[in-house]
Amino acid sequence: MKRTIPLLATAAILALSLSACGSSGGSSGGSAESSASEQSGSALQKVKDAGVLTVGTEGTYRPFSFHEGSDLTGYDVEVIKAVGEKMGVEVKFQETQWDAIFAGLDAGRFDVIANQVAINPEREKKYLFSQPYTVSEGVVVTKSDNTDITSFESLKGKKTAQSLTSSFYEAAKAAGATIEPVEGWAQSVTLLKQGRVDATVNDKLTFLDAQKTNPDDSIKIAAESEDKSESAVTLRKGSEDLQEAIDNALDELREDGELASISEKYFGEDVSK
Amino acid sequence: MDSNWQLFIDSLWPLAKGAITASIPLALISFALGLVIALLMALMRISKNPVLSGIARVYISIIRGTPLLVQLFVIFYGMPTLGITIDPWPSAIIAFSLNIGAYAAEIIRAAILSVPAGQWEAGYTLGMSRTRSLYRLILPQATRVAIPPLSNSFISLVKDTSLASTILVTEMFRKAQEITASTYEFMLLYCEAAAIYWVICLLLSALQNSVEGRLEKYVAK
Repeated sequence: MKRTIPLLATAAILALSLSACGSSGGSSGGSAESSASEQSGSALQKVKDAGVLTVGTEGTYRPFSFHEGSDLTGYDVEVIKAVGEKMGVEVKFQETQWDAIFAGLDAGRFDVIANQVAINPEREKKYLFSQPYTVSEGVVVTKSDNTDITSFESLKGKKTAQSLTSSFYEAAKAAGATIEPVEGWAQSVTLLKQGRVDATVNDKLTFLDAQKTNPDDSIKIAAESEDKSESAVTLRKGSEDLQEAIDNALDELREDGELASISEKYFGEDVSK
Repeated sequence: MDSNWQLFIDSLWPLAKGAITASIPLALISFALGLVIALLMALMRISKNPVLSGIARVYISIIRGTPLLVQLFVIFYGMPTLGITIDPWPSAIIAFSLNIGAYAAEIIRAAILSVPAGQWEAGYTLGMSRTRSLYRLILPQATRVAIPPLSNSFISLVKDTSLASTILVTEMFRKAQEITASTYEFMLLYCEAAAIYWVICLLLSALQNSVEGRLEKYVAK
């Protein structure tokens, strides 16, 4: 018995890792389709049949996806709801923390992500994106009395707090910062104010909204990124038909001015283009 | 397939390193400190002094009645509002030790109480004091009784160290998340981390068996 246990264990681990490889190995470029991968062309049909578009979102990311009282609301939430309306389906939200959001999409827990997912080349290798519905920029946030961080470049050797899979993580890393991994904006600001990190890179809109709802003069924007980041609805590869339907819905929302008005409501200006 | 195998192999060392440099030491240090707290609390809890047993009761009740994740957050994110800022590692060790302390205190208390009263009497008959009987007679026997449940606690602790990732300790699970952050291969990396946790726990179970065997001699049959 004693000898069979390690043997069994080794066998099981091998089986485990092999199945893990097998499930995500499939197509070229090591794409992220897992067991939930679509047969091309069936994603839209599945959503239509169910009458429900399931959306992954954080629910803790003001002003994009958060709770007002007990209701889930926010810019991204309203946009995807409007998209669902145009498509004639109900929208159901699955709230999950940011670090788990792509894993949830891979696993088929939801059809799309609506949570300010910025389009970047690494992600485009793995996922499909709708047309962008937010254009904004990244900012470096520091304590107000900080004078040595004045640009993205000056983050070199400094400590920043970032969500691991966020595009701002990449930006901070590219600038040479040491990164403390966190779950979201609230934690980043807490660490910043407690002096545990020197800065955090995040969305300018998030910072402005946070200042609006909870003015805090102990933190400031120390630098703004020059390139704009574009956020879009994220889908699994293989759901091109669903992507097209969402794009069409977004087009309609642009034309009838609804997208602009949702944007105005949250930001006082049109950030959708 | 090839690229996934490659990723699996490439990430094996970073993950193992996360286990060796963070998960395992975190568990070992916390467990050792936790046991000291536990023994103290167990003895306080069975003592006839109402103040001592009261303190132990309150401590055990609070720790067992609140989630470990909340305890970590209170120590790491909460204490600074009181002006006490503790680094990630010490914060994690404090939280885990206090947590283990409460659970293990109950295990040790139960183990002490499980030793037949006749053993105490035997000690007194031989002219031993209460303290001497406790150390020479009761604790060795209680230790054997406590090994299986304490091993359980330790094995749980090894896996609970993954929660330290939420307070900036880069242990094995956070390493896995870091790798998925750039590769988006969740299934592979999470399974790989799970497999390593499992291997560690298999080794611990084997250790438990051998310790149990060795302590068998202290038990009155």
